[in-house]
Amino acid sequence: MSGPVVLDCRDGAPGVTSEMGASTPYGHVCWVHDDPAPFHHAAQAFLTAGLAAGERLWYVAAGPAEPVVARLSAVPALRDALARGTAEVVSVGDTYRSDAVVDGPTQVRAYADATEAALADGFRGLRVVAEATPLVRTPAQLDAFARYEHLVDRYMRARPFSAMCGYDRREIGSRAAAELACLHPETNAPEASFQLYACDSQGDRAGLAGELDLTAEDLFTTALERADLRPVDGRLVVQAPGLRFIDHRALLRLHDYGRRRNASVVLRSPHATASRLAGLLDLPGLTVEVTG
Amino acid sequence: MRTGAAAGHQGYYHEAVRYGSDEELLAVVVPFLLDGVGAGEPTFVALGERTGGLVRAALPTGSGVEFLTGGSVYARPTAAIRSYRELLHAQVTAGAGQIRIVGELPTATFGATWDWWARYESAINHAYDDFPLWSMCAYDTRITPPHVLDEVARTHPRFATPDGAHVPSLAYTEPTVYLCEDRGAPPDPLQTAPPLVELTDPTAAQARAAVYTVDRGALPADDVEDLVVAVSETVTNALRHGRPPVRLRLWAGPDRIVATVTDEGAGPKDPFVGLLPAGDGATGGLGLWITYQSCNHVSLHRGGPAGFTLRLTAGNPH
Repeated sequence: MSGPVVLDCRDGAPGVTSEMGASTPYGHVCWVHDDPAPFHHAAQAFLTAGLAAGERLWYVAAGPAEPVVARLSAVPALRDALARGTAEVVSVGDTYRSDAVVDGPTQVRAYADATEAALADGFRGLRVVAEATPLVRTPAQLDAFARYEHLVDRYMRARPFSAMCGYDRREIGSRAAAELACLHPETNAPEASFQLYACDSQGDRAGLAGELDLTAEDLFTTALERADLRPVDGRLVVQAPGLRFIDHRALLRLHDYGRRRNASVVLRSPHATASRLAGLLDLPGLTVEVTG
Repeated sequence: MRTGAAAGHQGYYHEAVRYGSDEELLAVVVPFLLDGVGAGEPTFVALGERTGGLVRAALPTGSGVEFLTGGSVYARPTAAIRSYRELLHAQVTAGAGQIRIVGELPTATFGATWDWWARYESAINHAYDDFPLWSMCAYDTRITPPHVLDEVARTHPRFATPDGAHVPSLAYTEPTVYLCEDRGAPPDPLQTAPPLVELTDPTAAQARAAVYTVDRGALPADDVEDLVVAVSETVTNALRHGRPPVRLRLWAGPDRIVATVTDEGAGPKDPFVGLLPAGDGATGGLGLWITYQSCNHVSLHRGGPAGFTLRLTAGNPH
């Protein structure tokens, strides 16, 4: 037998990494970066995939459009798309009211209109890369934008609209990055140990993936509030096929969340431990269905 | 209204029966049970197969005494407390003025896991004190080790004897004192070898991942998942309430996985930690209460030079 594996975790060396999922079921990606170069690369790949899928492309730039146009033009397919109007670079102020607190429903309607226009023009949908850092600089902006992220996530479940939201960690900090990243189904941000995302356009079903323990407790509570799920027939459903771990704290938060909305909560989890924990806690109104 | 020796007593009337023959056991237990049903009190037996059979045979047909399945009741101490409290609550809600129970720990509990059953015997003086319960815990002196009988005397306020007497136990120690003593269990033989994994100050996520790395498929998947929960909670608790560094060590054998979580603090102050849920979980007590129900053995090791250690065993701890 080999000797022990001795690891000192104090410097975070063997940290748990969060990886982008291999699949993009509907394409709502949060990309948090310290270095813009990998984000630019990922954005180009995201847009190129949209081009191949026959979608209209928008790049919403945090600053002037010209440097972004120059950067995207390095990719021949994107250069051609820009030339013929299939791809467009706009400044963030043209798409969002950048210095104000975002109005989620209004912003979703704006993208819905743009998506329908793209369809009317013969595209298969609308794909957007948004440099959203300027939109979340204050606590009020962050709160509103995070709520909007889930609202637009619901819209993406219904219509052919997809987006990559880019945030600069150096400007917004890790906590804000986590608050935003956890409301996307996919992210590169290790700060978000879980993802809470829309499962349909109604808002009574959410998806939950990743790991929920004490370190995620506050973030989970905040994310649930911002998702603002709406019961249908007194019931909320949380689908969690990608859930790797959930502790009693998160189950208590789910139970409390449903109770305050006069709703029962059904958690569909692949882990029997979630069901056993719920049984120990004796939480009427919270049902864990083990999905196997 | 309460009857018999417990008449006038408030809360839990907890006795041990040390018997040296089957006749001595029946001399104490049969009148206790028949007096209970005679008084209209819910009366239960939670004995093992052999002794349960003896008592059943000694009772008249249709006596009204209910027999619980002793083996499953006494699988894990915290689960036993939880299920007994549910039973007692239901009886009181239904109007019972007193509930009588004769119970017996399986002999397997006298071995490697005795420490947490000794804690159980002490903790229930508090845990059942909300209820008008009169119970007798039976110990066969022919097969019970002397050190176990010593702990029985310290955890039971009184003894019931075959001559019908109820004698105070002079060694009885209040649970708030008893449960704060170091009651470490003997080392698991696996611990004589270096651990397969040793992590210093792991996050709970890293600790969970480490458990999976030592799983060789020897245990049912659910047992491993339950250990993952237990290790996660124990590491979380140590990081939050203990003194660094926190060390997780893992061993795996053919029939079990053993984990130890050590920090340099003194350990939880709550004497009932793990055995009873602590409020809303803010002090970590709910996590350790879950831990106690997710493993086949949990032992606390206080006061040594290494600080405080909680050892968790999934699989066969015996």
